[in-house]
Amino acid sequence: MALDLNTKAIKKNAYRITKERGKTALRVRVPGGALEAKYLTLLQEIAEEYGNGQLHITTRQGFELPGIPFEKIDEINKKIKPIIQGLELDYGVDIENPEAGYPAAGTRNVSACIGNKVCQFANYNTTEFARRIEKAIFPNDYHVKIALTGCPNDCIKAHMQDFGIIGMSDPQYEADRCIGCEACVKNCKRRVTGALSMVNGKVKRDERRCIGCGECVLKCPTAAWTRNPEKFYKLLIMGRTGKKNPRLAMPFLEWVDEDTIIKVIVNTYEYIDQFIDRTLPKEHIGYIVDRTGYQVFKEYALKGVELGPKVKVSEYINFGGYKYEKDAFMDQL
Amino acid sequence: MGYRLQNNDFNELLKELSKEYKLYAPKRFEKRGRFSDTDSVRYGEIQRVEEIDYTVKSHFSPKEIVYPITQTLFYFTEEEYRESQVHDKKILVFLRPCDINGMRRLDTIFLENGPYKDVYFERLREKVKFVMMECKESFENCFCVSMGSNFTDHYSMAVRFEEGSVLCDVKDKDLQSQFVDNKKESNFTPEYVQENNIKVEVPDAEKITPALFEHDLWKDYAKRCIGCGRCNMVCMTCSCFTTQDIAYEDNPKAGERRRVWAGCHVDKFTDMAGGHSFRKDYGSRMRFKTMHKIYDYNKRFGEHMCVGCGRCDDICPEYISFSTCIKKVNQILKEGNHEE
Amino acid sequence: MKNNPLIPHKAKIIEVTAQTDIDITYKVESDLQPENGQFVQVSIPRVGEAPISISDFGGGYIEMTIRKVGSLTNEIYTLKPGDDLFLRGPYGKGFPLEQYKGKHLIIAAGGTGLAPVKSIINYFYRNPEEVARFDVLMGFKSPEDILFQPEIDQWAEKFNTTLTVDSATEDWKGNTGLITKFVADITIEDMDNVEVVIVGPPIMMKFTSLEFLKRGVPKEKIWVSFERKMSCAIGKCGHCKIDETYVCLEGPVFNYTKAETLID
Repeated sequence: MALDLNTKAIKKNAYRITKERGKTALRVRVPGGALEAKYLTLLQEIAEEYGNGQLHITTRQGFELPGIPFEKIDEINKKIKPIIQGLELDYGVDIENPEAGYPAAGTRNVSACIGNKVCQFANYNTTEFARRIEKAIFPNDYHVKIALTGCPNDCIKAHMQDFGIIGMSDPQYEADRCIGCEACVKNCKRRVTGALSMVNGKVKRDERRCIGCGECVLKCPTAAWTRNPEKFYKLLIMGRTGKKNPRLAMPFLEWVDEDTIIKVIVNTYEYIDQFIDRTLPKEHIGYIVDRTGYQVFKEYALKGVELGPKVKVSEYINFGGYKYEKDAFMDQL
Repeated sequence: MGYRLQNNDFNELLKELSKEYKLYAPKRFEKRGRFSDTDSVRYGEIQRVEEIDYTVKSHFSPKEIVYPITQTLFYFTEEEYRESQVHDKKILVFLRPCDINGMRRLDTIFLENGPYKDVYFERLREKVKFVMMECKESFENCFCVSMGSNFTDHYSMAVRFEEGSVLCDVKDKDLQSQFVDNKKESNFTPEYVQENNIKVEVPDAEKITPALFEHDLWKDYAKRCIGCGRCNMVCMTCSCFTTQDIAYEDNPKAGERRRVWAGCHVDKFTDMAGGHSFRKDYGSRMRFKTMHKIYDYNKRFGEHMCVGCGRCDDICPEYISFSTCIKKVNQILKEGNHEE
Repeated sequence: MKNNPLIPHKAKIIEVTAQTDIDITYKVESDLQPENGQFVQVSIPRVGEAPISISDFGGGYIEMTIRKVGSLTNEIYTLKPGDDLFLRGPYGKGFPLEQYKGKHLIIAAGGTGLAPVKSIINYFYRNPEEVARFDVLMGFKSPEDILFQPEIDQWAEKFNTTLTVDSATEDWKGNTGLITKFVADITIEDMDNVEVVIVGPPIMMKFTSLEFLKRGVPKEKIWVSFERKMSCAIGKCGHCKIDETYVCLEGPVFNYTKAETLID
């Protein structure tokens, strides 16, 4: 029987229409970029039994298993149930039928750097936060990319995402514990933003220059600098690659907490729902913000959100980036 | 005399004692560690036995109780200066045998070295009574047995923490009086660490010659040490300080003279006005510290400075192990290949 | 607190004498009776404290020669007669002056190293009969760096003095070259009756000592003075410790036999 496929349904099910006729590729989400190694055995099995034996690691920290015949989709969906269970349902994601594969593919895998499970620099557990976000937004068809990074080094490239989350430490200083060795001051000047200076043998922190990287805490030999146990984040928005206008994400909120970020992201889906151009096969969130303007986005994103006392919100954002033609955003009506 | 007190009775005792004493013990400062979501265990004031974290080795030593990291010596006004004051309570410190032995090293430097006593140290030190926390099991990096600091009977009270109760051996008469009404006598003699995983043999002083000072061993440390000074700061016996004069920002006519901890690994330790300094490379700083801890202090005062608590090894971000350094020195001297 | 050794006392400045552009001698009122070569901790409250060697002393005064090299000395530089300095000390062990009496004394001083030995030279200048023979070797970087010029001129009347500068322009008529160059010119008749005092920068003391050793002067006849960054000057702060020796307590003056064992 000739192949007769609903490609839209297949794509929504996290399978790709590939260049090789008759063959698809399964895309596996790994929220937070970490998984128990045992799942690799199952992926190996599927790749070898149904695919071409290859397992591609995606830029968003998922796996892609190419060379799979379209006919095998239902069978594979049943097979990957343990992965849906372990990497989605167990995080609290609501999936009606875990034997039918992924129910959506628009919102991409929430990726994360290794975070403070391992890295000395990271200011929080990026994986855990990523899984919380996954629970809040998945499944969803809208095209949104989210990544979390532990510190402003931004190893995950949060600056290339629709939502980039950077961990911030609120450094707290106990002057009496400081010996004036200047380790923090020298390091901040050399490697960070020069937010610290010596005044009268003790350290002064310029809050406006401090980006909350937490390096002063790392450098301090006497624990004069410690982290506020409360966690804070910087939320970057609307970075993108793509053909039309690549650009870095820009700060939207600083010194914001985890719950607020989740609310803002959830609100954004309502904003998309309101403003997306439904004449297009899909529209990327960043271009919607281009059309409505930042202020409208901001209004929707912050709906019902109570911002903490430390939070700073961007009044205005000049996203910049570059365009190939001066009329890239011009249309003949 | 030995007693067993249930935790709530022990807490009553602490409450009673706190009228007269400030109570210091190692406690856990949650999420205040160097890395995010890690804790810091260091000395602080406590009210209840549950606050005492005896399950791990404190990251910092108790020296900061008698020798604060920052200590104001004088306050200056335009025409006068006034000595800083201290609280009028006595001090009770919960600490392990190695740290009690370390305290004697601080006493030696501050009270016996040179013709004058350090009165700022003395005024806190003379308030202190030790509550020895029994320490039977060696922690990682400990080598107290090799340094002879695993044992002490210099304490006012010794305690063993058990599930829900505390065993006490009380020697101090004043403290003893708190136990009189307590018909909770129990045999308790504290035990001590008998053996550490890490054992070092400290080389004989007469074997150490200037050739050792020039040995390539130190050049290796020059490449590894980053001069952060953490080893100095966590050390129970590092006692160096630097004096600072400051004028207050809001009133430059007033100010203070204070001292802060200093460390031989940290830059500027030997800088002199005019630009000259000594031991610029980190290897010679490692050599300087090592010799102080296991050689020259002993030559001057008759016991080794290092008490083998191993905190320097616990903290070093570059995984430089001091006990391994002692072993290397000993090996070099044994092989005799330092006299080239 | 009783017996607080860190308390400084006020000392009124009597006289300020510029030696060079950056070296100034301060004569202050003081009842201290230091040994030659001892030092005091000098401070200006709110600015800082530093060890400074006593360059001379007498009835009711001591004198210090201070080079402007940091925040404290910059501040001291602005003081005038009638202003106060704050002192504590004197500290350390000085030169064994008694041991030098009746001997052939040689003093080699480089730069500011002349300050801690000036009181010895002046002592024997006042009491020339107490020394068998006296040679003074003085080296400075340039003619502009020469300290105590009037006193140097006086000393030349009574002793063999050699003044040299490392380098100078053509109009300099005196000696040029490092001090070490002039060690060979000194006549030493009896190696057992000589005492050599060498004070200056570490490198100068090292090489000048070697020159005298080459001449056959026994190690135990050579004396040097160390400069270190004392913070407390009473054996606590650790800054001046070398091996088991505290420069503030056992020094700053050392016999060469001890000094040669001190590795920083």
